[in-house]
Amino acid sequence: MSMFKRTSMVHISRPTWFTYTALAIVMLASLFPFYWSFLIGSGDATTVRDPNMSWIPGGNFIENAMTVIQNPAVNFWKALWNSIIVSTTVSISTVVLSTLAGFAFAKLRFKGNRGLFVAVIATMAVPVQLGIVPLYILMAEFGWTGSLGAVILPALVTAFGVFWMTQYLQQSLPTELIEAARVDGCNMIRTFWHVGVPAARPAAAMLFLFTFVTAWNNFLWPLIVLDQSNPTLPVALSMLQANYFVDYSLVLAGVLLATVPLLILFIFTGRQLVAGIMAGAVKG
Amino acid sequence: MSFTRRKKMLAATAGAAVAALTLAACSSDGGDTDSTDEATGGTDTSAEEVSLTLATFNTPGFSNSENDAEYQYDLIEEYMELNPNVTITYDRKAESGDARENFFTKLGPGGLADVEMVEVDWMPEVMQYSDLLTDLSSDAVDGRWVDYVEAGATDADGRLIGYGTDTGPQGVCYRADLFEAAGLPSTPDEVATLLDGDWANFFAVGDDYVEGSGGSAFYDSASGVWQGMTNQLDQAYEDPDTGELIVLDNDAVKANYDQLMAASETQSSHFGQWSEDWFAGLSNGAYATMLCPPWMLGVIEGNATDTTDWNLANVYPNGGGNWGGSWLTVPASGSNIEAATALAEWLTAPEQQAKAFANAGTYPSQVAAYDDEAVSGAVNAFFNDAPIGEIFADRAQAVVPSPYKGEYYFQVNDAINNALTRVEDGTDDPEASWDKAVADIEGIG
Amino acid sequence: MASTDLDTSKAYSPWRQRMGMWDRKASPYLYIAPFFIVFAIFGLFPIIYTAVISLMDWDTIRNSGEYIGFANFDYVLNDRKFWVSLRNTFSIFLLSSIPQLIIATFIAAMLDHHLKARTFWRMGVLVPYVVMPVAVALIFSQLYADEYGLVNHWLGMVGIDPIAWHKEVIPSHVAIASMVNFRWIGYNALIMLAAMQAIPRELYEAAALDGASKARRFFSVTLPQIRPTFIFVIITSTIGGLQIFDEPRMFDTAGNGGADQQWLTITMYMYNTGWGELNFGRASAIAWLLFLIIIVFGLLNFWLTRRFVSSDQSGSK
Repeated sequence: MSMFKRTSMVHISRPTWFTYTALAIVMLASLFPFYWSFLIGSGDATTVRDPNMSWIPGGNFIENAMTVIQNPAVNFWKALWNSIIVSTTVSISTVVLSTLAGFAFAKLRFKGNRGLFVAVIATMAVPVQLGIVPLYILMAEFGWTGSLGAVILPALVTAFGVFWMTQYLQQSLPTELIEAARVDGCNMIRTFWHVGVPAARPAAAMLFLFTFVTAWNNFLWPLIVLDQSNPTLPVALSMLQANYFVDYSLVLAGVLLATVPLLILFIFTGRQLVAGIMAGAVKG
Repeated sequence: MSFTRRKKMLAATAGAAVAALTLAACSSDGGDTDSTDEATGGTDTSAEEVSLTLATFNTPGFSNSENDAEYQYDLIEEYMELNPNVTITYDRKAESGDARENFFTKLGPGGLADVEMVEVDWMPEVMQYSDLLTDLSSDAVDGRWVDYVEAGATDADGRLIGYGTDTGPQGVCYRADLFEAAGLPSTPDEVATLLDGDWANFFAVGDDYVEGSGGSAFYDSASGVWQGMTNQLDQAYEDPDTGELIVLDNDAVKANYDQLMAASETQSSHFGQWSEDWFAGLSNGAYATMLCPPWMLGVIEGNATDTTDWNLANVYPNGGGNWGGSWLTVPASGSNIEAATALAEWLTAPEQQAKAFANAGTYPSQVAAYDDEAVSGAVNAFFNDAPIGEIFADRAQAVVPSPYKGEYYFQVNDAINNALTRVEDGTDDPEASWDKAVADIEGIG
Repeated sequence: MASTDLDTSKAYSPWRQRMGMWDRKASPYLYIAPFFIVFAIFGLFPIIYTAVISLMDWDTIRNSGEYIGFANFDYVLNDRKFWVSLRNTFSIFLLSSIPQLIIATFIAAMLDHHLKARTFWRMGVLVPYVVMPVAVALIFSQLYADEYGLVNHWLGMVGIDPIAWHKEVIPSHVAIASMVNFRWIGYNALIMLAAMQAIPRELYEAAALDGASKARRFFSVTLPQIRPTFIFVIITSTIGGLQIFDEPRMFDTAGNGGADQQWLTITMYMYNTGWGELNFGRASAIAWLLFLIIIVFGLLNFWLTRRFVSSDQSGSK
């Protein structure tokens, strides 16, 4: 494989004006709601229902954001901290456990491999909306209601993650590499570490991102199992809608505030999604 | 080496999670750890340290931490000052729907707060489980509330399971400018006289308005009017004695439906309540009236940008009607029932509810509160200085207890509301739509 | 845990061999164990619970009920709303998943270039996935308002009559599908991108040397190479699509799927039966029916995908 020079790939995948135009259109559509949220979030209570709403942002964003942060009912900093703990724990755990399981399902031979894998996928087909009742009964039994653990533990690893890592590793990790590692005397966990993990990195970064965002925005279950003294961000921010008249400039300022940590995360994780990992794995 | 670093990180986060678990477990049964001097006596139970949880939704006006707006009073702090041995943890959901889901998830397995607020919309369902809630009746609260509020929380065995907080007696909100343009009288007193009468009179005025305005809608939606009409029936959907469905044999219901559908063709804006178009209609004049409980004033004011002509008439078709309101209940599974009852009693006393009204505009359901200057003297600037304190006190006295609402109330009401909406949408004609509702209702049970 | 079995008195080499054997045999199970443990604790109980109460006239609050056999299933299968919701679910599913897959693949192919400011482009497409549902609901309710909505306003400017988004069946499905697509296209594009980036660039080189055009390279190299991921995307979007709930529920403020069940989906029907009517037994029956539908449809999809996205190159395993 490595007989080709790396520079050749630049030639193959050089973007054209078409690429940039297409992406620019996609980007406009993607960023529109963000911009729109900012328009509302930087206006005042009447902006959202104003038929002549301006397409230029108002000047109240900082003020609105401060109102949200200082609102004692929102409990912003506590909620932010809780959300960081929950999302970080859940996504690290999901990535590690899914990669392990995905490695096993994709590349290791063991009895029941196929059957168990189908079982993993089948668990995704169970609709979750009814699960709140039995899950709460369970948590009440364990005495975990009100604590972050009740939100974290059920999400430690997901069928989605296992399925994703399996499919990705099946495609991107040549079986010969595993054989080679074995011949070198690596035991399983070392094989996993030296061969599986490097191959899995882009997919793991993506899984991390998705899991983090999902946990970050999760609302229904935290709303039931946590209370206002110990909330996550969406539960805390829902307080901004606790009125017969909802001031959407505050709601959207809150939404944007809650999104900032995710954008920071994007910048760091985005770099992990790079090509060329395989070349490294072959050499290593 | 990066492996060991990550392993450590994992261990650290796992440790943190476990720590969070144990800490929370400690605090749930805890209460304040530093004991006060009074508590040493031991025999005096009233001074024993008690920690209570109070759960509400929306903004009932109990505490200044409810809203970023400055409240005048903090009832929760006040209670804790009056009762130094009591610590209150206040939990709140944003919306009634969230609170309902929470309530019914936890009512069985346990985990509800010591005091739980219940809204009128799901009170009939809660009543099915009234035996799981504490009977709160006592001489101290006898006659505290307007009749229909007390009746709404009294179960078949005569147990009072909720203390009323706020309530929603309705007047009629209207656009003075639109009335005037349509050639109708437009001062609040004139409109009150004009609309004084039964529903037929209301719709007759509607016809005049439609004609005078050149085809504009008179009221906001058929659903809004429907709740007003149905809540005045003695019996609506279910037999109060047996709980059986009687709606399909109840001519009064069908008569209301026919009357409303006939009028709605020209008089309704055909917008769904709370839809984007309905909100827009508040300011663009798509309709001229709305049946109006106190809490609706805030909705109108907040959404009717650039409109100055909303007003409130001290009148309601065919008598009175209530829309909205809540109670405080004390789940029987709680560990501090006595203290919880005392808190609920205090919070729903007229003096406190008058303060809650000053805080959040939640209109009291306590008779004595209507004489409180803070309530009776209230005016609303946006509604052209309407004396809302006086008006709603009158409207509350006019409300008759609404019909029995049992186990199937919501499914039936939903089915009929869907029928109304189908006609409003133009999906079906009134008869075909009613037939669909009949099919839906027949499937209930 | 199993280390207690070890007999350290044995000579080094056989011990090592046995360790190796044990390592080979047990490791896979150890690696997949965490998933099944978490599932057994938090996933299995809810499933068994719903299975049991689906056969009962169940009162969740009193935690008691009466065995009634398949009466709940019988009721649901004879309820008009069930069949209407089934129709709606599949309609919205088709309207969303097909354009979604095509556009996502296209975007992924665009992103699979040596772009300037790569992180910006990649992360930009994921932004819709990040925006909290409350903002999404608000935006789309303003876009699709029947009377004063922006979309109808724009249509009016080009001379098209306003569309009754919240009244007619197909328009409501189109509007909801657009919400779904908006939220998930970027997400699926990134999944596809990750797979594309793992394709050895040499394969493209070889194809280019053979004179294959760009489009040809896409169909003969890219698609076959990302086959497992493609199957993944199709299966997950089938499962997710048939469980569609958030978007139709947010479509109006009542959240009940329309007065004439225009956009009532199966999951909403289940939710309304459970949480609306507090009839969790019947709702569980709906959950199980949906589960069966998804399994059948998922298998069908899997089979179709394998037939259509297959190739000789994938025989490397």
